[in-house]
Order: sequence, then C-alpha cells, then structure tokens
Amino acid sequence: MPYTRDTEVVQRLKPEAMTQAEQEALAGIDDLDFEIFQHKMNMIALEGKETTMKLGASTGMRWGDVAFGIYTGLGDLAVVATGIWFHAVLGQIPVKFIVKHWLKDETVGVRPGDSYFFNDPFYSGVHAADMGLCVPVFAEGELICFVGANVHTGENGSAEPGGQPIAAKSRYEEGLMVPPIKVGENYTLREDIMTMLGTATRDPRTMVLDIKARLAACRIAERRIQEMVADKGLAFFRGALRKILTTTAKAARKKVSLLHDGIYRQPRFMDIVGNEEKIIKIGICLEKKGDKLKLTFDGVSPMLDAHPQNTFFQGIIGLAMVYFCGWFFYDLPANNALLEALDWEFPARTVVNASGDVPTALAPAIQTCFVHGIFLIGARMTYNLDPERAVASWFSGFGVPYFGGFNQWEEPVADISPELNATGAGARPDMDGVSGAGAFFATMSDCSDVETTEADRPFLYLFRNYFKHSYGAGKYRGGAGVGFGVSIHHVPWLAMGGLGYGSKYPATLGIFGGYAVPPGFIQTVHGSDVKKHLADSDRSLPVNLDQLYGEANPEKGNRALHNITMGIKPFLNGDTFYMPAGGGAGYGDVLERDPQAVMDDLRSGLASRWMAENLYKVAFDPETLVVDLEATKQLRQKAFEERKQRGVPMAEFEETWSKQHPPRDILKYFGGYPHPKPKMDFGLPM
Amino acid sequence: MKIRITEYLEIDLDQKKWCCQRCGQMLVDARENYKKGCLVAEKPLEEVYPALTEGQPYGFRPDPNFCRIVEFYCPACGVMIENEYLPPGHPITHDIQIDLDALIRSAT
Repeated sequence: MPYTRDTEVVQRLKPEAMTQAEQEALAGIDDLDFEIFQHKMNMIALEGKETTMKLGASTGMRWGDVAFGIYTGLGDLAVVATGIWFHAVLGQIPVKFIVKHWLKDETVGVRPGDSYFFNDPFYSGVHAADMGLCVPVFAEGELICFVGANVHTGENGSAEPGGQPIAAKSRYEEGLMVPPIKVGENYTLREDIMTMLGTATRDPRTMVLDIKARLAACRIAERRIQEMVADKGLAFFRGALRKILTTTAKAARKKVSLLHDGIYRQPRFMDIVGNEEKIIKIGICLEKKGDKLKLTFDGVSPMLDAHPQNTFFQGIIGLAMVYFCGWFFYDLPANNALLEALDWEFPARTVVNASGDVPTALAPAIQTCFVHGIFLIGARMTYNLDPERAVASWFSGFGVPYFGGFNQWEEPVADISPELNATGAGARPDMDGVSGAGAFFATMSDCSDVETTEADRPFLYLFRNYFKHSYGAGKYRGGAGVGFGVSIHHVPWLAMGGLGYGSKYPATLGIFGGYAVPPGFIQTVHGSDVKKHLADSDRSLPVNLDQLYGEANPEKGNRALHNITMGIKPFLNGDTFYMPAGGGAGYGDVLERDPQAVMDDLRSGLASRWMAENLYKVAFDPETLVVDLEATKQLRQKAFEERKQRGVPMAEFEETWSKQHPPRDILKYFGGYPHPKPKMDFGLPM
Repeated sequence: MKIRITEYLEIDLDQKKWCCQRCGQMLVDARENYKKGCLVAEKPLEEVYPALTEGQPYGFRPDPNFCRIVEFYCPACGVMIENEYLPPGHPITHDIQIDLDALIRSAT
C-alpha cells in the first residue's frame, strides 16, 4: 500500500457484503437463541465499557466518553455499549483498515494476542483526541470477530495541550495521529511502542494508563466471547452476529417508511473560525422517500485552509448517528446497519468534507453544529409519527476549558474539565428539559464531583451550579446548564483556554417557536483577590454565574470577558476562570407557558422577574408570587395582538429584510453570502 | 381530514392547505412554504435576551451583526408557529416541504 491515508476504506461505513459462511449460519438460528445471544453480547459490551471507565485516567475515560464495541470478522460494528453514538459507525473504520491492510501482511499480521492502537481522525472520524484500541478474537483457530474500546483521551502532543489546538494551521500541528498500528503481541504490550506513545504527549501516565484500560477490557470481552463460542459453536456465533446487522437494517428502513415523504431543510451557522469571530454556514437538506433518507447539502462554506474547524465527511455521518441512534432509532440496536436507511452526498472541499492536509482538530465543533441541524429537522420530520420525541435540542456548543501544566502532585496534566457533560436537555412537547442532563453526544457520561476533580487537578472550585441565563425559553423551557468558576490552586501556574462556539450566534436553537439558548462566554480575573475574600469568609462572593456581572461582586483584579473559544494563556495561583456549560433549547411559544411554571422558576432562581414580566407576560404579586390569572390572560392577549400589528406578509417582510447584510469582515470565510460555494478544485490530491 | 405536522401546524387534506393547529386558520397552499401564510416580524433581540453586561463585547444577548430573530405568527390568533435565527438578510428557510401527493395517498 502507498504510505498515505486510505481514502477507500473510509467509504465503507455501511455493512460489508455477507459471506457464504455467514449466510449458511444465519439460516439455522432459532429466534429464542438469538434473543439470548443479543442480550449476552450487550452485557459483554457493557462490561467492557464499565471496565474501561474504571481503569482509565483521562477525564473522558473516567466520566464516560467511552464506547466498547464488538465487530464482525469483516469489521462491521454489531454491538456497542455507549452513549457516544458516533462510535456506532466510526469505530469500525480502523477495524476495517486492519482487516484490509494487516490481516494478510506478513510483516504485521493478525494473530491471537495481538492488539492495535489508533487515533488518526481520518479513520476514527472525529479528532485525534479520540483514541482507540482493538484486539482480534480467535476461536477454533479462526478469526471470529474483533472487540475494541474508543475513548476521548485528549492529550496527544499537539501544539496546545488537550489534543484540540485552536491555532493549528495544518495537520502537522495537531500532534500524534496514528493509523491502526500493532502495539501488542502474545497478549503483551510492546514497551518500546508504549514508550514512544508516552513520550509523544505531555501526559504519558494518562496516555499509557488509558491504553492499558482499553486492553484489559478487551481481554475480558475476548474471554467471554470464546466461552460463548465454546458453548454455542462457531457457526452460530458468526450467523447471529450477522443477524444483528440484517435485522437492524430491516427495522431501520421500516421505521423510516413510517415518516411522511418530503424534504426538510435547516441552515446552520457557526460564529468562530480558529479564534477569529467570523461566520460560516452549513446548509442541510434531508430528503425522505419511501424507506430511505438522503442527506445532501445546500450551501456549505469552503474548507478552511489554515483553521481547524474542518471535518472529514465520515465525522458528519458519525455525528448524524448521535441523533439517529439516540433519538429516532432509540428502540433499535445501535450499529452501522442503521446506515442502510441513509444515503449521502457531500460537496467536495467544504468544511464538512475536508481533504488534504488541512487541520481538523476542532472537527467536533463543526460536527455538533451540523448535527444540531439534524435534531431540528428530526423534530419537524417525526412530530406526526412520535410527537413525544419531537424535542428541542440539548446544548450543542461545547463550552469546555482545556489546560496544561503540573498538578499539585507534580504530575504533568493536559486535559479538559468534565463540565461539558453537565449541559441541559432540550424542552419536550410536554415538559421542561432536564437540567444538567449530560452531553447530547455522550448521554451516559457524567461531570464528576468537584472534590474528585480537585483531587488531581490544580483547581479550587468557587461554585458549580445551575444558572438562569443558560437555557432557551418557550412553552416548555430548556433544562438549565451549569455555570462554574475555578481558582488556580496549589500550583504556581497553569495554562488554560476555552473551546466552543456560540458567543455571537447562539449554538443551540429552539423548536416550534421556542427560543435559543443565550450566548455563552468566559470571564477571567488575573491577579484576583478571591482567595483573600475566601479567607475572610466573605459571603458576598458570587455563588452562581448570574451573580458575576453585577456591581455587588467584590472580586477585584484584571477582569476580562472572552469568546467561549479562548486561546491558551498562563494563569497564576489565585487567578480565576468562569465558564458556562449551556442549557437546553426552548419548545413552543413563550406566551403558552403555564404561568405557575414561571413562578416555580422564579422561586428556584431559574427565572428573573424581568423574564416573567417581559418574556412570559405573567401578572403576579412580586412578594407572594401569586399569579393573577385574569390579568395574565389580558397581558397575553395584548401581546398576541401586538404581534399581529408588528407582523407583515412574508413577501413584504422579505422586501426590506433582504436588503440587510452582515458586516463584510465577519464573512471572510463564508464563501459568498448568503449561498456559499465550495473552493475551486485545483486538482490537488485528496 | 387534517394531518398534524408540528406543534402548531396541520395540513387540511381536503383543502390542500396548511392550517394553524390552534385556531384552524387556513394559511397557504400545502405545496408552498407555510411561512408564506404567516405574519412575519423581526423580534428585537433585547425583548428576549437581557445582556447583563452592557458595554462589554460579550453578554447573554446574540450579536446583531451575526444574528437576528425572525418570527412567524398565525395571522388570526397570533401564536408563534416558528422562529428562525438568521444572519441579517439571509433568506428565509423552506424547512418543511411535504410531498403532498404521497401524503394524500398514504392517508387514503
């Protein structure tokens, strides 16, 4: 093979063609045996996920950014335990790479006791911070399947700590990117390779512990599968694994067929490129016809030559599966056979279909920006079929600090904090969203206890709790997000930055008239006197993010507000850093919100008097919070009438609206406003 | 016969029109963008988002250079059927384009 990336294997996201042996085995499988088999396989995968989490060291691994999969001998992912649904279609590519390139290669080979590591995002699909390990499973002398764990370890020796360098100008600044490589033989990891992988990063302890955690989980799963094959036979195992894929594909297409035929569109906008405040667009179309969906694009900003908000197309398909596995196909097994119901077509050389050597370290931002559009499309497309699941979106804009330096135990640290796993859920057709629900892309993850985080991170948490300006309003409001503040503690310094989007244009939009989540941003105070206030037990210090910005905040120092994407910079002992992990989006018209629910939010601190009076139009006694229902009805009727006075027919509106235009400078990377065109193809290699 | 499409929208198969689910108002031909049957207005950002950081480059209110809110109301009852967050002047989205013939076939 040429020593470059393999552009063929990444196209093979749908299941491989069935082998003769699988076809013969499949015919003889009893339905009851198949049900028991599926349950056992799910339990093996779940045990693999839990083992990985309990043994690992990185923030991602400890708090659930983990997928443990069982792959067929051809590399298709048949069973997975995760809330990180993109791994349901992306985790298979490295395995298919191994099958294609190493199985018959005499210098590498695939033998019992081997293990393979990988983190090249071209194969893993998301970004180099996501790393994986898989092992082949043999029985009766034959390769029968693979098992593997994919986890966000983070630190990979990139130009900035944590594996997501904002300032990367090409992939050569994005750190270690390993295509599938053999790292162990004869059930033993190779120490020379562990030394190389550890040395390549700022945090070798975490790198190697995470690899060993994945491998330990794989070995347990390997043993369980071999026990099953010994019990049920090789043919049954092969046939049943394939049957999971065939039944999933059939069920997925049947479920799609229940939706109304039509075309659904959503333009998405992101307000950051590198760390420049510029706007780019992803125009999304999803066509449903018969039992198939087809994803196409209607205007996407050109690929960014020297900024990392690009993604490979496979990452977009992976993130689409976060919606499909978690929300639409929630009642089906999560595996790559779901893709039998989805076709796609990508415009070349755009931010959703990167090629060449452009950086992709912030691909998760462009991917989540995209999939938020799929959530909006999904709600509109599925309301008729299943209104209870036509929900507003969970927070999608990230909002995560990254850091590097030494901790209080003089160990190197380079990671992210776990609060991105504490965002709010979107509002539903019948209730408010859940506060601090998790990350939409990692629904089984957790944000850690602050004490646990403080134990090996040089932070002193000042507060971490819900705040009222974190969610979108609506008939039902989004769940609240989490605001938190930390002071650098126990160490002389730490380098910190922030990742995300949505400081200018909201990251997370509402549905059916619900409002978007407010913008998020960072506050820093260098030279802060907060520790003095703490020593004095000063009770006037802010205890949540809403209280940071008023005159009453006693903290003094060099205060500054920043975009949620903030380049890394040094913080000294005592400096403070405040950030939001956003809440969920709103559902439905604010004027239909139950006035009593507004009062409940006032009591719990999740709404302000301004919101109750001006947004929800509720008349109430501010002392007792008793609602005046008749006066509220009149206020709302007046608001409905004002809308009718303010509104005009669409043609009339467009006449004046279309004459407006964003300032030219923020369109630097847009690619032609309002309908961007891809870059010209100069015949460069893909 | 009416088919529910969203929280606030139905399609009347007999009339082949979009309707407001709350008040029954006929909006526009069901093959068209339902937004053409709505009243449309730009909602001032400050009516939804208190910034809390006046005079600062960042706050809890979207930046009007990047984002505006366009709202779509039922012309009869005034309920907000949908909204869009768009950069200034960006074309309105035809977000739901139902295949009406297929819908009628499946309903009958």
